[in-house]
Amino acid sequence: MCVLCGQLFSESHWSERLLDAKAVSRGADETTRRQSRHARTRLIATVLACYGLEVSDDLSALNYVLGDRKGRREVVANLAELWRAAGRMAGRPLDPLDPALLDSLRRITPST
Amino acid sequence: MTDDSRRPVTVLSGFLGSGKTTLLRRYLAAHRRGGIAVVINEFGAVGVDHHLVRMVEEKSVLLGGGCVCCSRRVDLVRTLRELLDLEGSGALPPLEQVVIETSGIADPVPILFTLATEPMLKHQFVASSVVVTLGALNAAGEIERHPEVRKQIIAADRVVVTKADLATRDAIAACRMRVSALNPMADITLSFLGDGCEVLAPAARPDHAYASPLGADPRPAPPHPDVQSTALGFSGPLDWPAFTVWLGMLLEARGPDVLRVKGLLDIGDAGPVVMNVAQHVVHPPEHLRAWPAGADRPYLVFITRGIDPALIPQSFAVFQRAAGRPDLSITGLA
Repeated sequence: MCVLCGQLFSESHWSERLLDAKAVSRGADETTRRQSRHARTRLIATVLACYGLEVSDDLSALNYVLGDRKGRREVVANLAELWRAAGRMAGRPLDPLDPALLDSLRRITPST
Repeated sequence: MTDDSRRPVTVLSGFLGSGKTTLLRRYLAAHRRGGIAVVINEFGAVGVDHHLVRMVEEKSVLLGGGCVCCSRRVDLVRTLRELLDLEGSGALPPLEQVVIETSGIADPVPILFTLATEPMLKHQFVASSVVVTLGALNAAGEIERHPEVRKQIIAADRVVVTKADLATRDAIAACRMRVSALNPMADITLSFLGDGCEVLAPAARPDHAYASPLGADPRPAPPHPDVQSTALGFSGPLDWPAFTVWLGMLLEARGPDVLRVKGLLDIGDAGPVVMNVAQHVVHPPEHLRAWPAGADRPYLVFITRGIDPALIPQSFAVFQRAAGRPDLSITGLA
């Protein structure tokens, strides 16, 4: 629930909670856990690549496997832990408002 | 905030002398059926003997992460557990509501954090709303001088401008504008001679509570120099997984300076998703079945400290584009 204290909680990170499937009138698959999870992990991998890091889901798609180009690996349970571990591995905080990161992402994902 | 069976908790906050106790006393007098438990930090004029009143000494324990908002209010944990025990033993009627009246300088966010994260309480109680009282006569000076007041207003769902009968129309208008400048999402009501206490009721939110706060009033004076308010509008549905990645990363990196995030998001379904973040405390996103009558467009308001407001929509758009939504246009709303 809290991005700084997330490791103290046993429940899933807020972003990984399922939305109410009954409220979904179309594209119900979009809200299934696996598909959301896959889309999220793909985007996180794109972001982390800008820091020389990589990430993938484990087989259960419950944990993230974080790594760097030196072969270091770390398994983390949720997004809160992931950002902290990635910051440690990259040796600097990961900030989505960092103009350098945004420039990198713009180059990777052109507008058309 | 939800239609589940957990007991609703109303947090009543407000600076010293702003009329919290008067409002609470009126509310309790109007609801004599019992079933309302009141947690206060000092015995004063509340004394309404048909309601259960518990006094606590506000005591927070800073948790491992170290951010101030993530303090757990151990006094509340103990008191709320005691209430459950009393209810379970039959010594109390079924709890219909708990009202927590804070001290004048308390930060409401640790209370929300405690309710949302304490392993047992989070299944038994749910934060219904944060109601903050603000005296009409002294509002400007208190907002200017006291960071506690600004924190309370930013955390508020509802702000009650009290003692409106003592203030001029211009003073009340100025007060409303100052509140809106700090927290455009707050529902502002006036209290004359202590009336208007029903804001404390844990009723379902009216449709207007979902409406975009933007454009309703003339834009007020700029907020306090410490605080920036940024409102975003969207040209179409956004990518929900990308949004969660972006917001999670933002809160991790800038959490202490992201004071509040609130809004309605269109993720391509029939109803929107309600987002409500108070510092690090992310309320579980609520997926509505349909768009409320009072809301006709998605929006997201950020109240931040020391963050360049222009960077927020830029970064938001870049992440959406990276997730395959290059066509989503994000604009600042005035």
